[in-house]
Amino acid sequence: MACKRSGVQFPSAPPLENAVSSRVKATVAAVTVVMRTFERPVMLARAIASVLNQTFSDWELVVVNNGGNPAPVDAAVAVGRQANLSANIRVLHLNDRFGMEEASNRALAGCQSEFFVIHDDDDSWREAFLQRTVEVARANSSAAAVVSGVTKIQETYRGGKVWPVAYENFYLDEGRLTYRGMIGNNTFPPIAALFRTRLLSEVGMFDASLPVLGDWEFNLRAVNAGGFVFLNERLANYHTRTVDSDRAAGNSITIGEDLHRDVKLRLQDRWLAEPTSNGVNKGVLSISAQALLDIDEVRRKGVHVNVAAPPDGEYIAHRTAEIIALRRPLRRIARSLRHPAHGARAVKRLMRRVLGK
Amino acid sequence: MFLTAEQVLDGAPYATVLTVDFFDTLITRKVAQPTHVFALMEQLLVAEHDRQWAGFAVKRVQAEHEARVIAASGNPLRDITIDEVYLSFAQSHGLSMSERTMLIALEKKTELDNVLPVVFGRELVEAARSRDMSVVIVSDNYMPSDHIVNMAHAAGYSWVLPSDVFVSCEHGGLKHNGELWNVVITSRSLNPATTLHVGDDRIADDVIPTSYGIATHVRDVMRRSHRVMGNTSPGVLPLSRIEAAYRDDYANSEWPTAEVVGGGAVALVVASQIVDVMSVLRERPVASVHFVARDGFLAHQVWEKLRASSVDLPPAQYTALSRSVIWRSRIENVSEEVAHRLVGDDETLTVDRLSRRVGCELESESAVLAQLSCEEARALLMANGSRIVAASGALRERLLAYVGSQGMLDPGHHLLVDLGWTGSTIADMNELVTKATNGASTLEGRLFGMYWDAVPHRQRVSLHGYATNEFCGTDDNVRLLGCQSLFESFITAPHGSVVGFSESAQPEFVNTECEVMAYDHIGKRVAGAAVSSAFALLTHQHRSGVSANDLSSTVAWATMMQFGHTPRCDEVDVVDSISHVTTIDHEGLGESLIAPMPSAHVMHSELSEVYDALLHKRWVQGTLARWESDSSHRWIPDELRKMNPMFQPQWVQIP
Repeated sequence: MACKRSGVQFPSAPPLENAVSSRVKATVAAVTVVMRTFERPVMLARAIASVLNQTFSDWELVVVNNGGNPAPVDAAVAVGRQANLSANIRVLHLNDRFGMEEASNRALAGCQSEFFVIHDDDDSWREAFLQRTVEVARANSSAAAVVSGVTKIQETYRGGKVWPVAYENFYLDEGRLTYRGMIGNNTFPPIAALFRTRLLSEVGMFDASLPVLGDWEFNLRAVNAGGFVFLNERLANYHTRTVDSDRAAGNSITIGEDLHRDVKLRLQDRWLAEPTSNGVNKGVLSISAQALLDIDEVRRKGVHVNVAAPPDGEYIAHRTAEIIALRRPLRRIARSLRHPAHGARAVKRLMRRVLGK
Repeated sequence: MFLTAEQVLDGAPYATVLTVDFFDTLITRKVAQPTHVFALMEQLLVAEHDRQWAGFAVKRVQAEHEARVIAASGNPLRDITIDEVYLSFAQSHGLSMSERTMLIALEKKTELDNVLPVVFGRELVEAARSRDMSVVIVSDNYMPSDHIVNMAHAAGYSWVLPSDVFVSCEHGGLKHNGELWNVVITSRSLNPATTLHVGDDRIADDVIPTSYGIATHVRDVMRRSHRVMGNTSPGVLPLSRIEAAYRDDYANSEWPTAEVVGGGAVALVVASQIVDVMSVLRERPVASVHFVARDGFLAHQVWEKLRASSVDLPPAQYTALSRSVIWRSRIENVSEEVAHRLVGDDETLTVDRLSRRVGCELESESAVLAQLSCEEARALLMANGSRIVAASGALRERLLAYVGSQGMLDPGHHLLVDLGWTGSTIADMNELVTKATNGASTLEGRLFGMYWDAVPHRQRVSLHGYATNEFCGTDDNVRLLGCQSLFESFITAPHGSVVGFSESAQPEFVNTECEVMAYDHIGKRVAGAAVSSAFALLTHQHRSGVSANDLSSTVAWATMMQFGHTPRCDEVDVVDSISHVTTIDHEGLGESLIAPMPSAHVMHSELSEVYDALLHKRWVQGTLARWESDSSHRWIPDELRKMNPMFQPQWVQIP
């Protein structure tokens, strides 16, 4: 079975027998925690400790070694198991390095837990994260996900040592967890969200073709399948590295800003090409919402820049029209090449219009 | 000592009226300071109405401050009311009218549930009434007089009538600015010459009434348990209740600082160490438990006491390990880095001491007692590299023999209980043990406090921080760094640090004079009080009512901060004589925990050096408190706190 959303096909969760499992479990844990890692053992050890420290104990941790050296990953997991002998941890060593979303999909293949979480190997949780998010998710049975408040931690990583240098409150509110709130930008890091596993079969899995922002794209499909609930407690820590950190320790946003921008444009292009639903095109909505979010961000931070109010909507509409206008001839040419009969009919229509004039 | 109630009245034989302050003179609470009542409320609110109320206590303090600012902008002489406090709270946090009403009722009820009479105050009014003096209560407070009457009745002052109470929030003025005194004198037609006032505030209860011609007596002993008022959260309550019990027990005698520190903060840390170990033993099989010298000494004493009193606990070892002895046992070559670690930049050493430091006789052309500069000492070490490596190997053998005799090499998982902070000692030990047993034996560190540097060590060994771990905020990490030497000095053993092991695999301790003196002077009393108080806590017999059920990681951190971050003057004074030895051989005079005051002419540009020196060697918070008490030096802690705001007294975060 496959799920089709937004004109792109995403694989739905494969049956359990296809799932990779290193150990047979007697019972299904309530939460599957997926932790993707690549050559960052010190941070991985910290991330595992963050899961082990949870006051909620009904979880399984799937560490996905995304093509890195297996030995340090095994060592970090061994230390974690040693600290908690009942810890339900399994390791998935991938032979090659895949995209982040592919790594997540492989870990989630056959997932039967009630909930799942993507816990990046450089992030961490306060110890009540799982307990509180699961409580709230169970109290809101229709919600697709629960998203907690986030503390952004800037840290420096050098020579195998990591130390925090600054903390800031990551701005998040209920409005930013709606479809309209999220369409313009990725509004929260994956570490903050607990998802219901049913989403994987309802809206499909992560888009493995995206090198980054796969979480954003998934969130936009997921939010339409029940809405997200905001848990206004700062239980998730989103770690980013300062510029003077070792490069290997950088997180995907701070060292790959260009890539993020490119992928975002690609996604918006993809959505612009999609048919309009209820009179709204997802791409147009995304571009306009992004501009509004940028302005909101500037206003919220109290930076006095010249952001005169009326031009934003006007500018957005104008820019969107430009993008669509630019794309239209290219799309027609491509369609003509794919379907020559369509092309001939189009040329005939054009000729008739010109001659008619 | 202190005057009795009769002696106070005898001092003013002409007085026919006794005016008396209310809070901390006639009544007190079951907590150490007034703002901890809000922590009791928060505990109740969170338990019954969910976590949306987390942070209530500190917000309540803030709301009162805001209400005072607003009131002062209109009429600076008047006091605020409880309604104004909760109006401010409601405006800041979006509460409904019914929630406001509920909170006011809850605050009144909590005050009533926790009120206690002050023994001196009770004796005073009884003696005054028996002498036919009329007694009038005069209080600066935001609670209405009917609530003051209710509190008085709850504390056993059943004679109090509303007409006997003058409270600032109802009369448009305070004792502090004299306005309330005008009201009292006028409405009761008091003759100041025949009036005696007793209270606890130097200004409101002494300077101001004296200016009206009223005789006064100030008794401020009930304030001796107060710390910074803004720090209030449920986590502070166990230490607060213990210190309140001390406050009441010693209300008529000198404050026993060493016993309060030992029976309060230190006992809670020690009891937490044991609670943490017990939680592991309940969860999973453990081959052996080791309380590591010297931080685990007190916990081991309590553990043995519990076992002797039939508490079902397995045997546990007191294991003599130290960072330097484990590190020295792992030297495989004497590189420049190793030589730098063995000799500090600020050290000059004799060949003799250097030989003791590395555990072997060094071959040198210099006289045995000749002083070597740090460069000369390092060169000598590198020239004797093979001897040092051989000595390291021999030390390793003896160390393993010692821990083997303690069962640490038996197959299985072993717990090492230590105060903190990075776990490097345990990680190094784990590598030695794992290698010696081919992985049959593994170690786990159960630390009381742990900070960010623990992250790389976690990669080598499983570590758990009870009060704090590397996930806590930067500010808390730095606060921990600022006070860790304080805790190492108090949570310690009567013997020195282990520097080697004999041929028969017995630990060899080195006793430094400063540590011996500190232990005799203060450590012994702290330790005695800590062991008996921790035992009482764990066996649910503590006279404060606090028990092991009240302990948690939040409580442990709050305890550290109450004592380590916001010490009282008496605590700073008692620490003044303590030095902390940090040299690798544990010899020398050590560094006093409270740094001497710098020159008052220190330049602002030099403050960052002052701060670094404090952070690496001293008790930062205690030192700042000491310097603050000197008017010519007060600017230095003020500036240091501006530059490093985590050292501001407020450690409870405002959500």
